[in-house]
Amino acid sequence: MSAVLNGVRKVGAYTYFAGACMRSAFTHGVPWDRVVSESYKVGVRSFPVLFTMALFVGSNLAIQGYAAFSTLGAGSLVGMFVALAGVREVCPLLAATMVAAKAGTEMAAQLAVMRTKEQIDAIEVMAIDPRSELVVPSIIAVMITLPALTVFTIFVSLVSAMAVAVLQLGVDQGEFLSFLVGYLSAYDLFAATLKSVVFGAIIATVSGYFGFYSERGARGVGEATNRAVVTMCIVIITLNFALTSLLYG
Amino acid sequence: MAELSTSATRPFDAIAAGEPIISFRDVHKSFGDKHILRGITLDFLRGETTVVIGPSGTGKSVCMKLIVGLLVPEKGDVWVAGTNVAEAHERDLMSVRRRIGMMFQDGALFDSMSVGDNIAFPLQRHTKLSDAEIRDQVAHALEQVGLPGIEDSAPSALSGGMRKRVSLARAVITKPEIVMFDEPNSGLDPLTSDEIDGLIGRMKEDLGITFIVISHDIVGTFAVADRIAMLYNGHLIAQGTPDAVLHSDQPTLRSFLARNMDLPPLPGDPR
Repeated sequence: MSAVLNGVRKVGAYTYFAGACMRSAFTHGVPWDRVVSESYKVGVRSFPVLFTMALFVGSNLAIQGYAAFSTLGAGSLVGMFVALAGVREVCPLLAATMVAAKAGTEMAAQLAVMRTKEQIDAIEVMAIDPRSELVVPSIIAVMITLPALTVFTIFVSLVSAMAVAVLQLGVDQGEFLSFLVGYLSAYDLFAATLKSVVFGAIIATVSGYFGFYSERGARGVGEATNRAVVTMCIVIITLNFALTSLLYG
Repeated sequence: MAELSTSATRPFDAIAAGEPIISFRDVHKSFGDKHILRGITLDFLRGETTVVIGPSGTGKSVCMKLIVGLLVPEKGDVWVAGTNVAEAHERDLMSVRRRIGMMFQDGALFDSMSVGDNIAFPLQRHTKLSDAEIRDQVAHALEQVGLPGIEDSAPSALSGGMRKRVSLARAVITKPEIVMFDEPNSGLDPLTSDEIDGLIGRMKEDLGITFIVISHDIVGTFAVADRIAMLYNGHLIAQGTPDAVLHSDQPTLRSFLARNMDLPPLPGDPR
């Protein structure tokens, strides 16, 4: 019972924190110079790892799709499989979990260290809202860059899937593209982008919450980072089900 | 309701030098079952340097955090020039904080910024000064603390004493009316410690503002203090001029000044 109450209390505290961040963006303004630097950090630095992941996720989707459909004598349907599984589900999740693991943990750890070293207190004493200075720019940056990274992930994985399907598995390029385009619509891209905006808000606010309210000391930093990444992954995967049900159900 | 006969209930402009600018009235603060402050009533006078001394864990830093509203007391009032920060609306609290500078124990410099950017930070957020004007003010502040020309250095490249000086430069860059120092001598060798004390004394003469110093360094305390207050077990057990404190017959204060770690208990207090 106490664990349930504790969970409810934490959800309440997180909701209050997210609300306070929104309010501070309006009352204290947004330091746009920090939004730019955070966007660079989240976007550009996630590029190489996301490129590598997307490359091999696309290729494996092609191999698995081909293996499943070729037993039915319809190997060329791999284009449809990549469009449905890759664009609608795997790529938004892949981009979100990578950004959560890389940028989200970095944000949580950085804030926790700042808490430990009294740097957040220092900002408050300067009559500056630390949420508007440290968390709000990250929220905006992740909400802008994650959709872009998701589109990039989709593009790389589709190219890689096509390359493997055509060059390694012998699928006709025209058939692959025709099934891909036939089953992929603008609505799918809209849905993937919408998902990534929501995931971006979750990543930045969850990592911000755990970093901002971390215990002081090395243990506090470690716990904040660990709790942030576990919570982000669970919330993202759960929300993904809810969003898929809403958008395609 | 605590006694409010203090000039600290008036705004900054209506408080004369030598009158209380910050007043604690029956302030209690606990963390869990640890009762840190047990009814502190204390005044900090405008234009003077007050040093709060006492053993570790007696609530000295808590007092400082109560003044700027980083902590809220369970009971009592903390008046800072017309604002009771214990009950203040966020806007009023921000207004009080803009008149206070604070040097943190380990500097609390932002690792991701250069020294110059650290000092410029409050000016960039609170003023409309041009980049060139801010650069000039940063250079002047660094000269004041005896560290000219280190704007481009990273905080991680500085020694403990240098970090504290940069933190002091950042604390005074906005020309606050009150500057607080949290353990300015901790972790420093005696020579650097003396330098910091000298710097505090010089800045007080140059700027003529109110200084509050939290310390357990006895030599440094008598070097900079106009008034001394001693906290022990959450109580204010002595306050007065350095001379009065030096000649006090309060047994706990005498033991502390003699660096006797076995301080006698206060009447009725658990040890």
